[in-house]
Amino acid sequence: MTFTDGSSQSMPPSAASERYDALRELMAVLPAVMPFGIVYGAVAAQEGLSIWQTLGFSGVIYAGASQLAALQLMGLGAPIWSVLLTVLALNFRHVLYSASISRHLGAFSGRQKALGFFLLVDPLFGVSEVRAARTQLTPTYYFSYGLVLYASWLVSTLIGATFGGLISDPAALGLDFVLPVYFLGLVMTFRKRHLFYPVAGTSLVVSVLAYKLFGPPWHVSLGGLAGIAVAAVIGPQRQPDLTAFETEPKPGEGA
Amino acid sequence: MSSETLLSTGASWSSGSIWFVILAAGALTYLTRFGGYVLIAVFGTLPPRAAAALDAVPAAVMTAIIAPVVVSGDWAERVAIVVCLVLSLRLPLIVVVILGTGMVAGARALGV
Repeated sequence: MTFTDGSSQSMPPSAASERYDALRELMAVLPAVMPFGIVYGAVAAQEGLSIWQTLGFSGVIYAGASQLAALQLMGLGAPIWSVLLTVLALNFRHVLYSASISRHLGAFSGRQKALGFFLLVDPLFGVSEVRAARTQLTPTYYFSYGLVLYASWLVSTLIGATFGGLISDPAALGLDFVLPVYFLGLVMTFRKRHLFYPVAGTSLVVSVLAYKLFGPPWHVSLGGLAGIAVAAVIGPQRQPDLTAFETEPKPGEGA
Repeated sequence: MSSETLLSTGASWSSGSIWFVILAAGALTYLTRFGGYVLIAVFGTLPPRAAAALDAVPAAVMTAIIAPVVVSGDWAERVAIVVCLVLSLRLPLIVVVILGTGMVAGARALGV
């Protein structure tokens, strides 16, 4: 176990290589995140928010889908409680993220955890899980990815609010396809894990159904919960929290 | 109502109430982002079933994020996502993202 007082400098892998790994991963997702931020900024400006209010949503809430939904509801004159309830519902999935990621934060100080959870958005959750399955998840890696992504979200919001129509048609560039492919690549790294196929298969089917019946972003929470429920019902076969390798003998496993 | 109003549609929001929404919604979102950590901390050691369930979170959630492409996407997207699935067994993530995005953009440019 490492007792580093949160200082990433004393971790075995060099801070520079951790930063490099994190930023290389981030480059793959920025082309998807930034156009989305620009779209949000442009919509907010059109709706009459000031530049500070527009940036306030991005900087304080930092969850694109719920920011747009809040704007839409406010535009319809919905009561505040219903705006807040919608934001809470749309962001419910983060409870699952923080439950799962909390098992990999052994090298984080209390303050780093507090900031780390604030930054916990979908792509950061994905890469952190992949990283933790391979090696120790360090604060340097986590914050290099997380803080640059956060800054990019603010910058793209500002760009959108300033030059509304900069990217008139993100779909023509295939930019709406970047995130699905990114998550596909991440999810495939878990394919050797115990229960991967029943879990992923169930999530796929339920997500599609929820998408048809209730629309986004309910498919994420409902599809995710369905896959998790399958894992809970089937139960553990090996020691939890180990990536399973077929060839690796595991003597003395109980269940 | 303050002169600062929101929205083309005529709904009017004071600057103060807009900032209230921002701060309250931000607080609620932060709650969801560390709520799972608190749950784990409160329950301490997890029963094996709960641990198995948590192990399944990344695969379940990320699959759920991708799934709608299969039904809502056009044919170019469906083909591209399957090709990317195969490519991701061999190639680094960023290469797969670039190839997949390029395929979809190309198909749309050609009007496929």
